[in-house]
Order: sequence, then structure tokens, then C-alpha cells
Amino acid sequence: MAVKEKAGRKSPPAPKGGMTLRQRRTLMGLSFITPNFIGFFVLNLIPILFALLLCFNKWDGFNPMEFVGLENFKYIFTHKVFQQAVWKTLIFTVFSVGVTMLLSLGLAVLINQKLKGIGIFRTAIFFPYVASVVAVAAVWQMLFQKDMGLINEILRFFGVTDVPGWFATTQWALPGVIIVNIWKNMGYYMIIYLAALQDVPTSLVEAGMIDGANAWQRFWHIKWPLLRNATFFVVMMLTINSFKSFDLIYALTEGGPGTATTLLSQYIYNQSFISWDYGRASAAAMVLFAIVAVITLFQFRLEKKFSE
Amino acid sequence: MNLKKVLSLALAGAMCLSLLAGCTGGAPNPTSTPAPASNPPAEQSEAPSQPAEPAELTGTLKVAMWDMTADPIFASVIDAFKDANPGVTIEPIDIPSADYGTKLSVMLNGGSDVDVFWVKDADTIYPIAKRGQMADMSSYITRDGLDLGIYNGQAEDFNIDGKQIGMPFRTDYYVLFYNKDIFDAAGVEYPSNDMTWAEFEELAKKVTMGEGVDKKYGAFFHTWQACVENWGVQDGEHTIMDTDYSFFKPYYEMVLRMQNDDKTCMDYGTVKTANLHYSGVFSDGSVAMMPMGTWFAATMIDKINKGESSVNWGIATLPHPENVEAGYVVGATTPIAVNSASPNQDLAWEFVKFVCGSEGAAIVASHGGVPALLDDATLKVIAGVDGYPEGALEALAVKNICRDRPIADKVSEVNQMLGEVHSLIMLGEVSVDEGLADMGEQSKSIQG
Amino acid sequence: MLNKIPTWRKVLLYAVLILICLITLLPLVWMLSASLKLDKDVFRIPIEWIPSDPAWSNYQRIWDQVPMLRFTFNTFKITIITTLIQVFTCSFAAYGFAKCQFKGRNLLFLIYVATIAVPWQVYMLPQYTMMNNVFHMVDTHAVLILLHSFDAFGVFLLRQFCMGIPNELLEAARIDGLSEYGIYRKIVLPQMGPSIATLVIFTFVSNWNDFMGPMIYLNSTELKTVQLGIRMFMGQYSTEYGLIMAASVVSLIPVVIVFLIFQKQFVQGIATSGLKG
Repeated sequence: MAVKEKAGRKSPPAPKGGMTLRQRRTLMGLSFITPNFIGFFVLNLIPILFALLLCFNKWDGFNPMEFVGLENFKYIFTHKVFQQAVWKTLIFTVFSVGVTMLLSLGLAVLINQKLKGIGIFRTAIFFPYVASVVAVAAVWQMLFQKDMGLINEILRFFGVTDVPGWFATTQWALPGVIIVNIWKNMGYYMIIYLAALQDVPTSLVEAGMIDGANAWQRFWHIKWPLLRNATFFVVMMLTINSFKSFDLIYALTEGGPGTATTLLSQYIYNQSFISWDYGRASAAAMVLFAIVAVITLFQFRLEKKFSE
Repeated sequence: MNLKKVLSLALAGAMCLSLLAGCTGGAPNPTSTPAPASNPPAEQSEAPSQPAEPAELTGTLKVAMWDMTADPIFASVIDAFKDANPGVTIEPIDIPSADYGTKLSVMLNGGSDVDVFWVKDADTIYPIAKRGQMADMSSYITRDGLDLGIYNGQAEDFNIDGKQIGMPFRTDYYVLFYNKDIFDAAGVEYPSNDMTWAEFEELAKKVTMGEGVDKKYGAFFHTWQACVENWGVQDGEHTIMDTDYSFFKPYYEMVLRMQNDDKTCMDYGTVKTANLHYSGVFSDGSVAMMPMGTWFAATMIDKINKGESSVNWGIATLPHPENVEAGYVVGATTPIAVNSASPNQDLAWEFVKFVCGSEGAAIVASHGGVPALLDDATLKVIAGVDGYPEGALEALAVKNICRDRPIADKVSEVNQMLGEVHSLIMLGEVSVDEGLADMGEQSKSIQG
Repeated sequence: MLNKIPTWRKVLLYAVLILICLITLLPLVWMLSASLKLDKDVFRIPIEWIPSDPAWSNYQRIWDQVPMLRFTFNTFKITIITTLIQVFTCSFAAYGFAKCQFKGRNLLFLIYVATIAVPWQVYMLPQYTMMNNVFHMVDTHAVLILLHSFDAFGVFLLRQFCMGIPNELLEAARIDGLSEYGIYRKIVLPQMGPSIATLVIFTFVSNWNDFMGPMIYLNSTELKTVQLGIRMFMGQYSTEYGLIMAASVVSLIPVVIVFLIFQKQFVQGIATSGLKG
């Protein structure tokens, strides 16, 4: 009913005589947002808010819930697997975000050319993102095989004698997972950069060329500042998606060996669907949410600062 | 107008709605509330079904199961029920097996109108029952005068706090699959139905041969923890809910010895990271012996019929620990249950009774599956299924089936944890003793 | 003009691109190869890249065992409708967030972005409960379309691109007497070509590949989607990898076609030149 009321209040977007300019602007702005917001509010926001409220409750998903205050947080913060998961998620995120961003930007610049068959190359680079996780996981497991895998063959070719065991060891499983994750997602972020590069006016680049700027100078002084909005988006989405990574890791290692690749989202999954403890799952999600929120706010600040 | 106001209103609305959602989730749904399991017959049915005379059954049932297209048993029992009761429509909900537990619980928690469901993993039975989502069938059993004794004690497994929340449908237990060609080539006699694990280990040495790609391994243990830990609970004295796991020790040591020293079984790391599936390994003839569930027989028959395998295979009884006799095996029973929130309790019970009864059992057996309702006649049917190896009748005969996962609280968490530590032990990341100690500690903290 | 690239650089560029594509395409090659093998040969080491006895029957079996035509049609239907709703409502909202000044805008936007950070595992059940008990929409295509049409991602993406449109352009239009809706339609939308292409690609791919949504919400076989069909092969007791790979290859084709069409939007220099004014 709250939805109805709200929509009723702002649905007549026609400017009325008695309104101030500011009110009119607000109405105008809201009218743009409303069609999406109604759907977003009802279908996503309500369940999400409900889910987050669960963190103070004990709930098996069916029977009436029971308010337990901060018990769930107390539990997860003292749970060894949770602590490890947070730590591993941070490592996973830092590497995934950094490397993926650089690679996708580099690829986008490289591929933003008028060349014969460039569409094929773009498709090829985008392909890992499209391919089904199951298929991709099966291939990479083969490539990462200790004795016969292609990757260790290459390492041996370059003189590495003590090759890593990758997914069969606790210390190399996480790096392996990070590599596959970067490989899978770089095409996706490349597309975003590619789209953003389209907005760089040709005239500016041409002017730069006439001024005798070299390729690097043209990139750094002309293109990069114009890629700021896209970069903000890429870093945000990369961070969030790394924090939420689940499918690919699950298909590759199922969180193992042991708990070597059990990240936060896997922990949340286990709490929801193995322990049937939605309160704890929600508390863990809150932690994830809080970390992302801090990073987001920080980035918003940066964005504001730059756009001034 | 102030946006903050709008927002706070919206948020308040969200809370209201979400609380509402919570309520509906909590109390299944007003029409079917406290499903009075004590006297269900009188409850919702318009024409109160008289148990004595089998009146024409009518209605629609939604039944949840997994991999219906791959496993003909589900489809066959449903068809048979429909043939016997032409007035009934069955709407199957076919769910991919890997996601069955997740979807089933979301459906039950979310108030879906599924009427009847099979439970795939033994460790999910207790949580579902504890949430009160499996209807108590005791009154129906009394009404129809059903003797649960025919299930050889398996029905009692699904009696929780005096409520019969599930009926045993089929049983799967571990047997030893072997490749006759390899034994013939090695000139070694086929495995017997009475063999200890120590004898099994010795036998594996005799039939391991070849090198490299052509190597034939004496044994194969799949990567599940069950394929090592089950031998520890086989004697019926321990369960995975114990917190001192030293009873696993001999079996971890045996498998590690076979894998690392004797090289008579494939290395865990290779099997795991190369995604080797036991069915592939066995059906292409690279292993001589493989302890695996009875369900695998149907797969092998199918593979041979399709020409995907030419292995000449046999079945023997599962090897046993020193302290018990042959025929003590380990396995699990798949129950079928009725959703407490289902408005079609009567009809649902008729379906359950049918599939778990003699007609259902005969159908399961005719597809090579082992029904929970098992007697000598049924065993003969199974062993007589086209494609079953000879001698199967003796191999399948069992004296006792221990549950690999007991039906109790926290079993799924303990099971998950055991799986995690299992991989560390098998990969040599921790020693057997360290691993078992870790299991004990974690198990204690899980069980509180 | 500036697009004349010297030959030696072209050669180098192609060499680099081919090398990169080798890495990204390796799994595709493997998938193709595996899709032509029997189950038992799929994970054989060393890999036989070109199967000596290709099992075309895998493709035949998919056709026979899974109603692929129906599943493909269902997936297309869900995907296309979702994409249309997304592009329309998201670009609208993006303009509101990027270019309309009003109080509370940033907070509202922050809420949008924040929801992206909540993992589905925790809100899937409340969402399902709501869709089931309040809207009674379980086991329909509408539920998937609705759930996917209003996620915050599209708004966020387009808002970022919309930010890049110079304000002077809009002010000039306002002075010319164009209403905000007119500005959105006549100036902003044409300007957003590449970013809308991006959204189309992403929405298409994520809907096409979505497995969890259909798995949870769809019960009837005739409503199921391609990914669910693939998953149906993967029984716990029978992993038919040859079939899975064949099905993966089949399911890839539509996405690749969509990508090839929409990536044409990414041609250096066309997007902005005509509009600078």
C-alpha cells in the first residue's frame, strides 16, 4: 500500500502553477525513475530488506522467527571458517579487481580499431564470459592438472621444475581460481570500456595527434580522463562481483580442498542451504554488504572529487 | 514534497510487506494451517474416502522428483499409479539432481503447492521433518492396517518423535563391482561374497597391471568421503555423528597405502582434478574392483545396451571389516513424504502407499533398483533383470544395512565438514591423525 | 586520416590479437572436441583434440532427449522481453539519476547500487515466498521476466554513461524549449547507442545463461529454458559430459550471434561526431 500511495503522489508530472521550480524538478526527476523504481522496489528491494533484517533473528526459513539480537554476529565472528572466508575473499577481490581492470582496459584500447575482422576478435575475447560455467570449469580443471595439464607443461618448458599442484593443494587453489576468474570476466569489462571509448570524441584525439602527442600521451591525457565514469562503474562492479563470486568457484573446486577456496558467498550458501540458518546467512551477508558499502562510499567520494 | 519522507514511508511499507511475507512463510497458509494429522481423513476430502472399499480416486497431485528423464523408475511408478487410478492426474516436478535439495526446500519453505516429494539426500530428511513439512502418516497407516514390519526396520528410520514422516521407497547399498576381463587376464579368481577389507587390499595388488595410459588399477575409490568413511560405519557401531573419528583410521590408512605405496588405486588428486567420474572409469575397463552403490548396476546395464561399454562385469558383496560377518553393508534408504501443507493429504497417501507397496516395489525391481520393500522374490526379480550379471542374487543378499548418514539434527553440517577434511587427508595436505583430530573438534563445535 | 595504420603495426596487432584469442578460445575448442566424444573419452589424458571417431550422435541425442526447440523458444521469449523492458526503464531512470537535479537523488541511487551487493543466496527465499504467496506467479515466464527486468545493474550502467553527456548540450536544448522528455528522446537516447548496446549484450547474456532463476521458479517441463535443459543432463549419478558439451555448444550459438550484431555499435568515432554541437 505504501507503493500505491507514493505513486499516487507523484504520478501527475504535469507542471502545476503552484509549485516551486525545485518541486517541479523533483517531480520531473522522479517521473523518470518511477517506472523502474516501482518494479525494483516491489520485486527486489522488499525481499532484500527482509533478508537483511533476518540477521537479528533465528530462522529456519519456515517457522516463526525468533529475535536473537546480535547472536548471529557473535557466532560468525568466532567461527573459524567465516574468518578464513573473509580473509580469502579479500585476497580474491584485490587480485581480481586489479588485474581484471588493467587487462580489460588494455584489451579495450587494443581492440578499439578499424581493422578487418575485428568483430571476430572481440567475440573471441568476450567468449569466456558467455560460455557456460560448467564447461569452462571442466576445461580449466584439465589445464590445471598437476602432471599432465597444459599449464604445468608450459611452466616446465620455461624451466620451472617444482610445478604447483593447483586445485589439488590448499596454497595454489586460490591463485588458480583467481586466474580463471580473471580470464572469464575480462571480456565483460572490456566491453564496458569499449563502449566508453566510443564517447571519446574523435576530434579530441585528432587534435592530440596534430599536437604531436604519442599514443601513450594521447591515452593518458585525452582518453583516460574521459573514462572516469566507466572506470568507476568497472571498479564497483568488479568489487561487488568478486565479493559475490560463487558459481565459477563452486564448479571449479566446490570451495576445496578443505576450505581453501571457500569464500564469503559460499559460506553464505552453506549457512542457507546446508545449515538452514537464514539468520547466520543474513549476518554474513551483512558483513559482505558493509564492506562493499564502505568501498562504494569511498568511491563515490572520489567520483565527486574528480567531477568537480 | 520531501523525498526523505517518501523514502521513509516506502521503507516502512517495505517492512510491513516483508513482515507479511515472513508471516506467510512462517505459517504455511491459512487454508491448510495446522494440518491436523491426527484425523486427516475427515478433514478436507469432499467425499470422505472409506478405507474398506477402494473408491475411485480423483484429483491432481504435484510430485517432486529428480532426473526423471534419466531414471525410468520415477516415471514408471507414476504411470503405474495413473493406470490403476485413471481419475488421478499426476503433475511431475522434475528437478536437476544436483539442485534437488535446494529447490525442494525453497518450495517447501516458500509455500509451494507440491503434494508429494521424494527426499534425495539422507542428511536433508531431518531438517525438513524438523520444520514440520513432512506430514505424519501414522493415522493412515493405522487406518489401512499397514504392517511396517515388512520394511525390515527401514520404516522406523523415518519415525521421528512418534511421527511417521516418510515411507521407505527404495534402498541403495554398497556392493563391489568388478571387471571379469581384468581378473581373467590376471588369472585371478573373481572376488568372493565373503571378503574382508584386508583381503580386498591384497586382491587389488594381484589384479593391478600395466603402465601409463594402459594401466589397469586393482581398485577405485570415488572422491566422495563415503567411499572411505562408510567402511568405518559398516559394523553398525559408529556413526558419522560420533566425535571421535578414530574408527575411520584403518580405512584412511588403507586407501592412502593403496594410492601412494602400492599404487593399486587411482590417486585422489587425479580423480578429483581430472573430473573423472566413476562410471566412466569403470565402464571403460580401467579398474578391476569398485565399491559403489547398487544404483550403478542400472547405469552399467544401460551403457552396455547402448554400446558405450563392453566391460564384462560382475557384482560381489561389499567387503567387510574383521569384526562383522559378510552381508553387513552400508547404504541409505530413499523416503517419500507428503507435504504437511498439501490440501490433498488423502490422495497423497494413496500415492505413497502405492509406490511403497508391492506394486511399486515390483516396478522398482524390474528396472534393476532395490525397493525398500525387499524380499527374496523381489531380489530374484532384480537379479533376473536383463543385463544383470549372474551370481548377483547371492551378492545382493544382505544381513544388515547400516545407514551411512543417520537421520538426526546437524547431520548435513557434519557431513559437509567431513567432506572438507576428507579432501585434505586424501591430498596429503594433513596427516590422517591430524585430519581425524580436526574432524572431531569441528564435529564437537557443530553439534554444540 | 588517422585510421591509416602502418603495415608493420597491423601485422604486430594481428599477432597479438591472435595470441590473446588462442587463450580465450581454448575452452571453446575443447568444448567442441568434447562434444564429439563418448562420455568415457571426454576426460582422457592426453587430450585428443580432433576425435578420430566423432560422435555426432551426441547432438542427435540432445535433440531426442530434450525438447530443445521448445526450450530455445522459451529462453528467447524471456530474454527478449526482459531486454526490452530493461533498455526502456533503465535508460529512463538513468537519465533521471544522471541529469535531473533533485533532493534525495544520491541516496536513492545509493540504495540501488547497494542492492547489487546483496548475494542472492540470502534473499532468494523471501523473494520466492513473495512471488508465490502474494503474486501467485511461480511456474510462469512472467516471474522470470519481472525479476530480471528490474535489477539495479542496468540503471547503474546506463547512469554512468549518461553522466558523460556534456551538460552544455542539454542546457542548449532546454533553451531551445525542449521538454525533459524531449531531451531524453531526441538527444540522450541517440547519444547512448554504444552503452545501450552494452546493456543489451549483458542482459541478453545473463538471461540466456541464467540457471538459478528458472531452476527455482519453473516446474513444468514445457516452460523450461535451455540452461535448465543442460542441467537436466547432469544427474549426480550419470555425468554425461559429451552431451553437456554438445548442449553448451548449441546454447552458445544464439548469444554469439547477438554479440556479433551488437558489437558493430562499437566502431571508433561514429558515436559522437554527428552530435557535437
